[in-house]
Amino acid sequence: MSRIKRIPAVLLAAGFCISAAGSALFLPGTGLTAEASSSDKTILRVCNWEEYIDLGDWDEEEVIDLESGDIFGENSMVSDFEEWYKETYGKEVVVEYSTFGTNEDLYNMLTLGDEYDLVCPSEYMFMKLMAEDMLVPLSDDFFDGEDENNYYTRGVSPYIRNIFDTHEINGENWSKYAAGYMWGITGIVYNPEVLTQEEASTWKILDDPAYSRQVTIKDNVRDSYFAAVGALKADLLTSEEFRTAPDYAQRLEEEMNDVSPETIAMVQDYLQDVKNNVYSFETDSGKADMITGKVVANYQWSGDAVYTMDQADEDDYELCFAVPEESTNIYFDGWVMLKNGIRENAEKQHAAEAFINFCSRPDNVVRNMYYIGYTSVIGGGEDPRVFEYLDWSYGAEEDEEEVTDYPLGYFFSGDPGDEDYVITAPTDQLNRQLGTQYPSEETISRSSIMIYFDGEKNDVINQMWINVRCYNIKDVPVWIWILAAGILAGLFFLYVNARRMRKMYA
Amino acid sequence: MHALKISRKSLGIPYAVFLLLFIALPLVVLFYYAFTNGQGQFTISNLTGFFTDPNTLGTLCYSFGIALVTTLVCLLLAYPTAFILANSHLKQKHVLLLLFIMPMWINFSLRITALKEILTLIEGNLARYPFFNAVVGMTYDFLPFMILPIYNTLSRLDGSLIEAAKDLGANDTGAFLKVTLPLSVPGIISGVSMVFLPAMTNYVVLDMLYNSTYIMGSLIGSYFSAYNWHGGSMIALILLAIIILFTLLTHGMEEDNENPVGGALL
Repeated sequence: MSRIKRIPAVLLAAGFCISAAGSALFLPGTGLTAEASSSDKTILRVCNWEEYIDLGDWDEEEVIDLESGDIFGENSMVSDFEEWYKETYGKEVVVEYSTFGTNEDLYNMLTLGDEYDLVCPSEYMFMKLMAEDMLVPLSDDFFDGEDENNYYTRGVSPYIRNIFDTHEINGENWSKYAAGYMWGITGIVYNPEVLTQEEASTWKILDDPAYSRQVTIKDNVRDSYFAAVGALKADLLTSEEFRTAPDYAQRLEEEMNDVSPETIAMVQDYLQDVKNNVYSFETDSGKADMITGKVVANYQWSGDAVYTMDQADEDDYELCFAVPEESTNIYFDGWVMLKNGIRENAEKQHAAEAFINFCSRPDNVVRNMYYIGYTSVIGGGEDPRVFEYLDWSYGAEEDEEEVTDYPLGYFFSGDPGDEDYVITAPTDQLNRQLGTQYPSEETISRSSIMIYFDGEKNDVINQMWINVRCYNIKDVPVWIWILAAGILAGLFFLYVNARRMRKMYA
Repeated sequence: MHALKISRKSLGIPYAVFLLLFIALPLVVLFYYAFTNGQGQFTISNLTGFFTDPNTLGTLCYSFGIALVTTLVCLLLAYPTAFILANSHLKQKHVLLLLFIMPMWINFSLRITALKEILTLIEGNLARYPFFNAVVGMTYDFLPFMILPIYNTLSRLDGSLIEAAKDLGANDTGAFLKVTLPLSVPGIISGVSMVFLPAMTNYVVLDMLYNSTYIMGSLIGSYFSAYNWHGGSMIALILLAIIILFTLLTHGMEEDNENPVGGALL
């Protein structure tokens, strides 16, 4: 899965023209998508990331045999949901499932008049949707822990719940509107034969001349901005004094979300240097370039990093993951309900919330995680299956020589010292798949959320990003100007000469 | 007869509708966006903004540079090839020509991906030579478009003109420079316009070969993905203006060569 894909401008332009023409001809919202309100079926329109849910159809040997029972993806999760909803609530629901490629695409689709009931954008995009008053709040029933079908509220990790409860926009908590789906951090996938863990654990690697043209960076402004700020403020961020300050977490978030004009200018300069040092700005190709050894380090999202390491393992090629010392960007994708889709239809809202709950049922969580490689926000609560799956994936075999106890209590029970949630894993897993999919508490302590850039700031930062990728006319060497002038003069002379000759002979 | 006329006219309707929906209407939308700001008010700031920003101007220069070098390389490769092909007495020259066109039948991204691997083998690290790679990629992609028109012009050239030139005392070089070359200018011009203009915008080649610098095509895309429809539309419009200007210029040159006999007399 790639979180952000670049759409060729041609397509975009064509799509833009056609939709513009379309909306001129058929006024938005009039008729084409008539609601099937007459029948007693509820239609639920869900829009999710591409390849971000289990589509079933597993091979027989793919059964995940946990202590609490086997888990197997036979049918797609969407059709399983329709069946489950009928069994549980006695009503029929039809899910119209579609996908989007980037948060920006989704936002464009919504503003151009597409209607969905339930979508799954990243945190900065649902914050934007919240700020623009486009969302329906989750109902109180959704958070009723007594109801055994409320898998979300019963199973969500206390760590994630806390983040959703304490982060707010315009005075409203995320948790009022959003229920988490997947989460992760950013870091560097690296080749341990070339780099040490320490060398890879900094954003400064992106403009390190020692790895000139051997490192890739993400081709989108938010990820690049974060890395640049991390590198520029490295001294401050890694200083003992800053680290041990009582309000460290809060200050870290402020520093990483610094969008002052001076910082933006510095980021532009920095990213211009980075542009001349990296192998590529990529969204998808970095995984393959990492596996084939074309690059030695690759700025990556944790979910894709797990995928990269898995693929490399198949070729007996070992790759590792390092989380920069300065800070790492923690991100969340969450389910939110849209006002112009739900339209105060209680049946619809019920079905939408049930869909979130169904995806949060521990066996379904395991299916999704197995299928897409990202990390679910669900720890399982009383249900042990998510943790068992983790042990099933990464726990050490009995004859393993070097093992380490890896505590994950902070995520599963909220108590970092909880001995029920310690995995005994091969030591090298700590900076490989396990440490990537479930970062340690120490790693998480230096993570920062990246809020959305609003209004004018957004324009300035987007322009900064375009400037980074442009060729500045001041960089044109003098000899090119002289050459260009010479060629022009030559052409002009030829042209005039030809005319003169022609007149003479004509 | 009357009925036939009507049906003939109505045959054109689908295309007229197509023209209206996909060419005329989008153009209107393009103009609207290019000359308005976020609030929908008329403004020329998008236009002045383009010509005062060193970054957009630099990108225009960079695109120009890539397109120019690509066109020159294509011309230098294509002209001799077309010349040899047109003058060869081989019975199988159509087969030869086919060999040059065949790459066009293979999917574009497949070709560039293959090229990427080959360049990696040769250069070691692709990312060290971004400009060179872009030119190689574009040349690979556009060469057939240069060969074909030149070959067409050369193969239709009246051989008696060259014989006449030689009868009048010109040697091979002289006959080529004074007869063949001037007469093949229309072919060169149509080849150049088929290579130069697409080369300014075909950023997929650059993307796939890891050139991180924007050219005109990617610049428009970047404005759109930042929701700046107005700036993006203006750049699209400026490109359109450049294309029209270029076409007018080359058209003017072709008219100069309208009288081929006069050209041959030079």
